[in-house]
Amino acid sequence: MSNPWIAIGALALVALAIPLSMMAVSSLLRPSVPEQGKRAVYESGEVPTGDTRIKFNIQYYMVALLFVVFDIETVLIFPWTVIYQDAVANVGLAEALVPMLAFIGILVIGLGWAWRNGAVKWVRSPRAQAQRVEQ
Amino acid sequence: MVVDIAGFQVADWVALVPSLILGVTAMLLFIVDSIEPRPGTSSNTVLAGLSTLGALGAFLVAGYFLVLGVGQPRGTGAVDLFNGQLVVDGMSLFFVVIVGSVTALVTLASYDYLEGQEYQAEYYGLVIMAATGMSLMASANSLATIFVSLELSSLPSYALVAFLKKNRGSVEGGLKYLLVGALSSSVLVYGISLVYAASGSLQLNAVADALAGGSSVPVGILGVGIIMVLLGFAFKTASVPFHFWAPEAYEGAPAPVSAFLSSASKAAGFVVAFRVFLTAFPEVGGLAGGDPMVDWVTAVTVLAVVTMTVGNFAAATQEKVKRMLAYSSVGHAGYALIGLAALNAPDQGFVLGASMMHLLVYGFMNTGAFLFIALTEHWGIGRTFQDFNGLSTQAPLACAAMTVFLFSLAGLPIGGGFISKLYLLAATAQAGSWLLGAALIVNSALSLFYYSRVVKAMWIEDPSADLEVDSYPSSLYAAVVIAAFVTFALLPAFGLLSPSAFDAASVLFG
Repeated sequence: MSNPWIAIGALALVALAIPLSMMAVSSLLRPSVPEQGKRAVYESGEVPTGDTRIKFNIQYYMVALLFVVFDIETVLIFPWTVIYQDAVANVGLAEALVPMLAFIGILVIGLGWAWRNGAVKWVRSPRAQAQRVEQ
Repeated sequence: MVVDIAGFQVADWVALVPSLILGVTAMLLFIVDSIEPRPGTSSNTVLAGLSTLGALGAFLVAGYFLVLGVGQPRGTGAVDLFNGQLVVDGMSLFFVVIVGSVTALVTLASYDYLEGQEYQAEYYGLVIMAATGMSLMASANSLATIFVSLELSSLPSYALVAFLKKNRGSVEGGLKYLLVGALSSSVLVYGISLVYAASGSLQLNAVADALAGGSSVPVGILGVGIIMVLLGFAFKTASVPFHFWAPEAYEGAPAPVSAFLSSASKAAGFVVAFRVFLTAFPEVGGLAGGDPMVDWVTAVTVLAVVTMTVGNFAAATQEKVKRMLAYSSVGHAGYALIGLAALNAPDQGFVLGASMMHLLVYGFMNTGAFLFIALTEHWGIGRTFQDFNGLSTQAPLACAAMTVFLFSLAGLPIGGGFISKLYLLAATAQAGSWLLGAALIVNSALSLFYYSRVVKAMWIEDPSADLEVDSYPSSLYAAVVIAAFVTFALLPAFGLLSPSAFDAASVLFG
């Protein structure tokens, strides 16, 4: 009786071996052309400005929180839409539709509250303004 | 699914109406605040009234359901909802009654306490959402729903403790509460994962079935899991070893929030602990006869004795009244733990019922005591025992109420606390656990010492020259007096309510 952990161990070895061997092979094969652009920080193709230690506006945090609301909403609505037709056929329109409407309604109330309280209004903080990197 | 409530055939989710009322109230508070979003512009009266009505509604409906027999053997029997993820039975309704009544008292008192504060709508919204989480904790019947509802009650609580944003104590208490809460939540969720690994399910009845087999259960994993789950609940109930947030958070928080957390939140933590340990792990703990696989009853006994002793001895050394009450609340968590620790008794329903009744009485007397502190904070008199000197010359009614609370907390026959402690003592005697009984008596005697320091300061000491009470805030006064009246009324009325607690408890032991 072979131990199943042997297979997992072999898999781990392969998982380590593949990237290491690829890096080793490419370092043997590639030509060495040092160049300024290659040593620069990669910022999605943009020209890098300033360093990484800047203060972010707190507003990003609000946007991220609202994103979570929509994200979770989507995750739960997708499977519901997939089975919606079958669900209506099996349990009727009310039981299939009303719980989802209630769920979305709760989220809409939350979003409306956040909106009215200025969570999506972009405030500029004077201190962040002063510390902004001059272009 | 259809259940029969008072002769009406209604959908089964109707049994969950008390929790739904709280949830809808929270939504209404959001809508009210959306109409006038600028801080401080929404009417305090509307917000406090709406929250109090919602909490009162949940309290009344849950109480009415208890009387009708919803969820109980004489009525519908336990109502399983969502494939057993939630259950409505006597115990869940009983604890919704506790949570609802405490929430109503707290929101009523907050009307005066919050006067002139910004962000009132957020305050009431957070209180009601936390109460929703607590009432769901009473119904949660699966480790997943337990964790979610526990977080629903914890997250608003962190923000509530730090509500006074410009007050150092409040912010510091909030931060400590958050950090300890995060730690204990992770301990709890790790314990849940281990229990899941050992049993293969999250739903409590299914866990019990899976563990009933015996021989094939990995005892080591299960044991560590059960202990970690127990520690996770120790945070919510402010028991040793996760009690050290309690004095900081209760002292720093606005006093109505301290009242809310130390009464309702604690009761909710206990109902979850009761349900998990008695639904999922009775056989594992040897309650069904036979040797225990994981002896959690002994573990809870140790926690109960240590919690009582630590709480009461720490309370006896305090100089500030609010902090003394915070430590005494830790001590009372130890008393309530007797409900799980003394389960070796022949009549298990009596043991658990005694603990539930203690939590009910405690809900009123402790809320009242903290609301009295809210009153003194409103007047702006200091926090130490000396600052209370001669207060009865200025506010005799409130001081009389506070005296009822304190003596009832100590266990003197002036309020329901006397009988509930007597029942707890009888429970330890039934279980033959002399250690628990002795700890209960010694600690109660000690607690009388530090509670009477406050009473002595209020009634016997002479007031300092500058002590002056200039206003008598009506809603705070009303909340304190109502709490005092109920605490006192529970002394004769104890026998009316205790059967429902004992029935609800004994159902769990099938």
